[in-house]
Amino acid sequence: MDVLVNVMHGFGVALQPVNILYCFIGVFIGTLVGVLPGIGPISAMSLLLPVTLSGTPESGIIMMAGIYYGSMYGGSTTSILVNIPGEAASVVTCIDGHQMAKQGRAGPALGISALGSFIAGTFALVMLMLVAPSLASVAIAFGPAEYASLMVLGLVVLTFLTQGSMAKALLMACIGIVLGLIGLDSITAQPRLTFGRIELIDGIGLVPVVMGLFGLGEVLLNTEQVIKRDIINAKITQLLPNKEDWKASAGPIGRGTILGFFLGILPGGGAVVASFASYALEKRLSKHPERFGHGAIEGVAGPEAANNAAAGGAFIPLMTLGIPPNVVMALLLGAFVIHGLQPGPLLITQNPGLFWGIVASMYIGNLMLLVLNLPLIGMWVKLLKLPYNVLFPLIILFTIIGVYCSSNNVFDVYVMIGFGVIGYFMRKFGYEPAPLVLAFVLGPLLENNLRKSLILSQGNLMTFIERPISAACLLLAVVLLIAPLLPALRRKREMVALDEGA
Amino acid sequence: MTDQTRPPFRLNNSELWTGVLGIALGVFVIRSGLKLKLGTINDPGSGFMLFYIGLLMCAFAVTIILASVTEGGPTFGSRWEGASWGKPGAIIVILSAYAFALEPLGFLISTIPLMLLLLRVIDPVRWTLAIPLAVLAPVGVWWVLKRGLLIQLPSGMFEIG
Repeated sequence: MDVLVNVMHGFGVALQPVNILYCFIGVFIGTLVGVLPGIGPISAMSLLLPVTLSGTPESGIIMMAGIYYGSMYGGSTTSILVNIPGEAASVVTCIDGHQMAKQGRAGPALGISALGSFIAGTFALVMLMLVAPSLASVAIAFGPAEYASLMVLGLVVLTFLTQGSMAKALLMACIGIVLGLIGLDSITAQPRLTFGRIELIDGIGLVPVVMGLFGLGEVLLNTEQVIKRDIINAKITQLLPNKEDWKASAGPIGRGTILGFFLGILPGGGAVVASFASYALEKRLSKHPERFGHGAIEGVAGPEAANNAAAGGAFIPLMTLGIPPNVVMALLLGAFVIHGLQPGPLLITQNPGLFWGIVASMYIGNLMLLVLNLPLIGMWVKLLKLPYNVLFPLIILFTIIGVYCSSNNVFDVYVMIGFGVIGYFMRKFGYEPAPLVLAFVLGPLLENNLRKSLILSQGNLMTFIERPISAACLLLAVVLLIAPLLPALRRKREMVALDEGA
Repeated sequence: MTDQTRPPFRLNNSELWTGVLGIALGVFVIRSGLKLKLGTINDPGSGFMLFYIGLLMCAFAVTIILASVTEGGPTFGSRWEGASWGKPGAIIVILSAYAFALEPLGFLISTIPLMLLLLRVIDPVRWTLAIPLAVLAPVGVWWVLKRGLLIQLPSGMFEIG
């Protein structure tokens, strides 16, 4: 009953005209960046982070959340029609989605993708409503030791799932922590690594780092390659899947939704992992696995449902524990902090309007996405024909503007350009930026909780082992760190390792 | 791995040098931590975390170096094989020049040439599209920010914008 009352309260907030407008802007921009290859939700969210300042916290965060789940929807359009993933979570959709399009079945592929995403997104929201309040009440009991261990686990999981060498990913995470510690020490107020620059006293901003590594870095990488676009030009008809399509897709959508939701909750996990895992699961369960890769609708329905369910599930650790499980959620945390709010166990009780308003807005946003994705496919296809040599100067322009507006400081533009160059070289040498960014956000929180727990326990390191939740997190982190040393587990890691960043 | 199957050690192995760079960064972080004072285990100081993170950085960098020696790795040249590195290089040069020009010249005077260079130098767009886009995009953004969101972009010494 409480949940129903809260949901009604949430709809009261979400249905305010200004919030509907922000939700629409969010899902529209999300779909747009999802559709356009070379610009993902991370770039778009960091670009629009300063815009959230102009409105209420509810409207700003509703818009940011809309960009995230909107991009999950939009990414599939590019994958199916162009065979280029609009964003990382849609990589798998290319395999069977584009094959379906080549066989003249682009309509059902796009339709099942949008409808599967809608079902999964709605399920994730219902679960978010049911799980988040109870988890938040448990999380109140968390002390600094639990938080520190949970953050260590989150970082280790992300490095475990990152493509390539784990040592490289861990090195990136360490560099991220160091970058996060630049500025005044929160306990002693001593300046650290500021090199006498007054601009660094408050630390480096999240926006220039993210925009540099993901926005500019990606542009630099894309310009050195010739992006081949194999756009399906045939008229797309019959978007609604037929009875047989539904029969084949129902199971994958159901399994993908549940799998995606739980993978989304895990720190370090997320939509990308979920889509790959769902594809692997469907191929394994299929009676005709040989159809996969040749236009099997299950290969579109499962991963698309999984990545949308994961996008919903990822809100749980952020809203209940205040810990972002991935880079996108780290940016959302930034949006909360800009408005003086701290997501965590007390958010739901202290700001029920905000929490339930965001949840309710996601229902509305999911409906808007169905409207945007099905009838407006033609418009998105036209947009895909925009050549990259026209698009990338505009991306750079908006990146510069976004960074400048976040702080009104030209220094941040220098930082962004610097990180853009670093991001380009990092990718060239096989170093993933995602662990760096997550560690950059978690670093100060980790240090704070680590030092607090050491002060409270009077230097007793056993405090991390004696507390069951902390011990479990650390144990899991150790297992994941040792795993790549064992050949069997190493092969498994390589199978699921992904590029989380794009 | 036996000596016969082990790849030959090459100095232009890019993995090796990124590992060396990692060690250098790690040593720098350790030194910074020591300078800031470590404190004690029951009252950690400002340099406590930096010091231990620096140690971890060195450890991971050593792992990368060891892997590069035992397993080999791509050379610097092979990282750019088949890629036109001149284009990102040109963008970096143009953006660096822009960074220096932005504050003294202001947003509009520096951004219009930036856009024109990006549109014409990297992967040339025809002049009839490049010029309007290079002018209209920055002016449009400037107008929306100034009038709509009341955000002042740098106006530079000529106070334009």
